[in-house]
Amino acid sequence: MSRLPTLAAAFVVTLAVVTGGAAVTGYVTADGAAPAPAIQNDHYQNPDLIANDTPGQATVEMDATARSQTVLVDPGVEPTSPGGAFPLPLIGLGGGGVADRDIRPLANALIENGHEVGVYVPDPNQRRPPTRPGADPPTQLGERLAEADAFVTFRTDYEPDELDAIESFVDSGGHVVLATEPDAAYSEPGAASLDATLDVTTEPGYVYNMAENDLNYQRVYAEATREMALTEGVDRAVFPSATPVGTTATGADVLRPIAGSELSTTRAPTEAPLLVRNDGVVAIGDSDFLSPDNARRADNDALIGNLADFLVTNDRTPPGPGGASGPTQPPQPGQPPANGTAG
Amino acid sequence: MPMSIDKPSTALTSRQQVAVVVLAAALVGAVLAPSVYAATNEPSDTVAVVEVEGPVNTALADDVESELADIRANDSVGAVVLKLDTPGGAPVASERMYKAVQRTSQDMTVIASVQSISASGGYYAMAPADEIYVLPTSTVGSIGLNAPAPRTASTPLGPSGPDKAGSNPTQTWAQQQTLADTFVDAMMAERGDEFEMPREEVAKADVYLGTKAVQNGYADEIGSLNEAVHAAATAENLGEYTVDTRETGGISGLPFLVRTDTQVVAIHANNPGYADVEPMGMTYVHWPAVPHVDTIERFSETNLRTGGATQTDSSTSNATGRLAGGVGA
Repeated sequence: MSRLPTLAAAFVVTLAVVTGGAAVTGYVTADGAAPAPAIQNDHYQNPDLIANDTPGQATVEMDATARSQTVLVDPGVEPTSPGGAFPLPLIGLGGGGVADRDIRPLANALIENGHEVGVYVPDPNQRRPPTRPGADPPTQLGERLAEADAFVTFRTDYEPDELDAIESFVDSGGHVVLATEPDAAYSEPGAASLDATLDVTTEPGYVYNMAENDLNYQRVYAEATREMALTEGVDRAVFPSATPVGTTATGADVLRPIAGSELSTTRAPTEAPLLVRNDGVVAIGDSDFLSPDNARRADNDALIGNLADFLVTNDRTPPGPGGASGPTQPPQPGQPPANGTAG
Repeated sequence: MPMSIDKPSTALTSRQQVAVVVLAAALVGAVLAPSVYAATNEPSDTVAVVEVEGPVNTALADDVESELADIRANDSVGAVVLKLDTPGGAPVASERMYKAVQRTSQDMTVIASVQSISASGGYYAMAPADEIYVLPTSTVGSIGLNAPAPRTASTPLGPSGPDKAGSNPTQTWAQQQTLADTFVDAMMAERGDEFEMPREEVAKADVYLGTKAVQNGYADEIGSLNEAVHAAATAENLGEYTVDTRETGGISGLPFLVRTDTQVVAIHANNPGYADVEPMGMTYVHWPAVPHVDTIERFSETNLRTGGATQTDSSTSNATGRLAGGVGA
């Protein structure tokens, strides 16, 4: 009978050892993850990290008091297939050139101030037959330019006879704005023949700024080199994908990229201007800056207004088709002088 | 024979007592044995090699996160080597791997071993490693965002708010810049002391060969995977160690990456239908490492021609066919 407590004790002890051992083993060999330490990634919580996405405001205003002028715009749109009723790129479809909306801030400012805006798109159905030397009829472009006082072009690939028309247009006092782009290969933006006609130059490559830019390294800021009519109210302008431009004239630089800007081809700092003026010709190394979205950035709206002033403040009196329309600025008493100098 | 009658009874009690003691000892021993075995067998004698290969996407991030969590919880793993071969990919997947590597490197030595390329999102993922090993002709870098320029699209009628289905280009530009800065800032926080260049230069997103990377701070050592494993074991004083390779991503999980003129597209099947093609608008990917879709079209055009297939140029099915053929080839 005395064995019963002993056996009972042995049973209890063994059970305790086994269960206790299992518990201890389970605890010792536990494979669970330790409590994860908190990791502070301060770089994710920097308030400066969030880029400002306010679109901004644009107020394009003109100061020029010139009477109604006719501004012809060549958006650089290629004609669609012969018989095509509507140039698709004009409504933003397809490639090449700028869309109608892209020139709206400039066009609207001109229209609001009583000027005429025409858009030139070559009509493939009116393509001239091969001509004999010495018997050139006017080109489609030439016909349109004859009626215009100012010309804005986004195209660089003109035929020789079109270049002749542009040259005589400039010679007769017409004002020209050439908006060019770095080309796709960034090797040579403009066409040499047009550049030669307008006495401007373009450089290969695009300008960028890693340190200070408008939401992208290619959207560079440019600032005025000095006070002049074209830079009135323009502290800084934004040029998305800009290429350096130049001209033969001295003192023609109008806007230069801000300090810290570099050129893609050299990866070296550049001060080459992005907007130059040589008399009646303004060359801009970018064609996107006047789109509605970009007009709201920095002082682009003021720049667009100044360009509109430049366009309508010309010395040209278009003969019109057959000279029928006569001069656009008949001297009238009480009228402000139509053609001043745009500085 | 009274003694012979009593003897069995006494002997049995004694044996019972011995048996109880032996049984108890055996039980205790059985319980203690694993611990004793583990103690004498060195618990931290394994170097885990975690593969980070192919385009960075959700499937890869899932696997890498789970492997690294398992490794952190496993006492027998003493160090980790990341075996990287990736051109990058999706931003969120890159960030997930970055966080997992960062957490692991707080627990143990983590060494990154770059094979042919670890760029963009791949570089993001390995940046918190204690050291980056490269081969002389490995490619590293490309710290930046890939995204097409925002375009103004016509706003559809119907959605409940202006940003539901449309966006403002400026807002998209800002978002892209923020995504790029997030990446660059993280890399400056991880390796800013190593980079032999200012932040603006890092943000140019250039790639460097291994030989240059060890000079400009994008990498630390020239060395192979084996050397990285040995360095990791040495850093943790592992003595004799075994290598445990953890495969990730899975065969089916990794898509083909191709790029069109404007963006990167992930294709999740050899013969993709619409459901298998996933446009990736904004990516942390090294752009030149992703084949351009034109190349694929050219390859498959030859295939189509030799296969005698005749198709019209403008049909959509033809474009899909070319794409499928090219990816398959």
